Amino acid sequence: MSFSLAGIFAVLSHAIQPFVALILIILAVLIAVQLVARLRSYRTKAHHCKPAMIVALLAGLSAVWWLPMLTHSQLGFVTSIVDWLALIAAALGVALLVWLVLHPLSYLVRGPR
Amino acid sequence: MSRLQLPPPSPGRRQLLKLGLGAGAASLLPLSSVFANTISTRARIVILGGGAAGLSMANRLSRRLSGATITVVEPSDLHNYQPGWTLVASGVWEAERTLKPNAQFLPTGVDWVKGQAAGINADLRRITLADSSTLEYDVLVVATGLQLNYQLIDGMSPKLVGSNGIGSVYASLDAAGRTRKAIDTWLAQGGGQGIFTSPQTAIKCAGAPVKMTFTTLSRIKAESTRERFDLDYFTGGGGMFSQPWINDFLKQRFDQENITRHHLQHLTAIDAGAKKAEFTSPNGDTEVRDYDFIHVVPPMSAPDFVKDSDLIAQEGAFKGEWLDTDIHTLQHNRYPEVFGIGDVIGAPINKTAASVKAQAPVVEANIVAYLQEKPLNARHNGYTSCPLITDIGKAMLVEFGYDNNMEFLPSFSFIDPKEESWSAWVLKDYLLQPAYYAMLEGRV
Repeated sequence: MSFSLAGIFAVLSHAIQPFVALILIILAVLIAVQLVARLRSYRTKAHHCKPAMIVALLAGLSAVWWLPMLTHSQLGFVTSIVDWLALIAAALGVALLVWLVLHPLSYLVRGPR
Repeated sequence: MSRLQLPPPSPGRRQLLKLGLGAGAASLLPLSSVFANTISTRARIVILGGGAAGLSMANRLSRRLSGATITVVEPSDLHNYQPGWTLVASGVWEAERTLKPNAQFLPTGVDWVKGQAAGINADLRRITLADSSTLEYDVLVVATGLQLNYQLIDGMSPKLVGSNGIGSVYASLDAAGRTRKAIDTWLAQGGGQGIFTSPQTAIKCAGAPVKMTFTTLSRIKAESTRERFDLDYFTGGGGMFSQPWINDFLKQRFDQENITRHHLQHLTAIDAGAKKAEFTSPNGDTEVRDYDFIHVVPPMSAPDFVKDSDLIAQEGAFKGEWLDTDIHTLQHNRYPEVFGIGDVIGAPINKTAASVKAQAPVVEANIVAYLQEKPLNARHNGYTSCPLITDIGKAMLVEFGYDNNMEFLPSFSFIDPKEESWSAWVLKDYLLQPAYYAMLEGRV
């Protein structure tokens, strides 16, 4: 059984439907924070904020535990290579997302560093 | 059965011209174009059933056939995502997650007859509905699904589900919810005898009886009270699963989990008040067992009005019970203008939504070929899939087909069908339902 590219898009279009509101809220927060910060001269490489990095790392690490629970499962059932690759990729995504929000936010709250 | 002595009707050229088939040019095209182009026809196509198979065919045929009259006969306004019912009964999903309106999936231009089919006259190519009205067809797609024969278990009725320790995930969405409550009640007792059954007939989603056993076991283990519960599994068959490797795996896993297996014993009677169940062996021996909870899986067959028609198998393993179709072309063996798809067909396995996904393009291509008076070259390899839940939170994505001794046919090379994994569970929990809806729309 194989899936065409159009078929994959058709499946994904149904898959994201229950999460559209959540995705839009997350995107709105991300874009708003990034936009406001950049309008106030925020530049990713120029600003340094260790706490943002630490919180993002903690969020990513904790995701390894709570992401399986979010799917009605548990970390103990993450066993195969594919399981771990998927979980690590998702945890990295969480960490990146948190950092992309917190880093410019820290610039807005604490000013340039 | 004099009609069996008649030569099978075939779509002669005159007949096809009568249908207004504008396929003259198309008939000169190579085979690949048959799978891609729209053809013009005035054929009257009736699709019996608006379930997974019926809606998939309605969408596919409405896209492929220009000028055809396509009619879907389906009484229900709501579409149930039945593969989700085991998750509802296991307390993982809410019932609402499995419901959508049928109208969402019916393509424009397709007539929807909200009625129940009551009879098929294959010689006259005529369907009779419950209100005595009739529909005539040039091509018939039988996608009725199957019939649950609870009445063959003495003392059993779907109404009993949810009371007296009786569960049955198959009966309906409501019954899946009541099964969940029956399991909750049993678990709250803190111990007792649980019996899980599987009948002697072919059933839809053949993994569901096993899934219900595993998800209930999972809930018992979560309460740390395993030693207080006795679990028995009674199956009318000699094995537990059609795929040989999975069959061995399940036997071993049941033994490891101290779930006592009883083969070739099917449920024949139930005394709900006394909480007793009677099982019968092929030699007629009976055994009565007490239970605190029992999960009933009824015998199944084609619906009565299909069984009473000339379309039912007249000989062989499916005689009198299932639609008489060629298991590869899915064309009826005696009435070439009739095609079967989904649970109703007589096939060694294949009563799953995943099978419909594989069958739908074959039926579509072969109906188009039939209308064009071409050979029916599209073939179904018997593909089916079972996301076999082995615990709440992990599963195996078992995909196989009836060609080549039930060999594995994995869709994703990176997912091992012999391995329990979180990924397969996530597929079951989040992605198979979207894939199902895309299938209904004829988009996968």
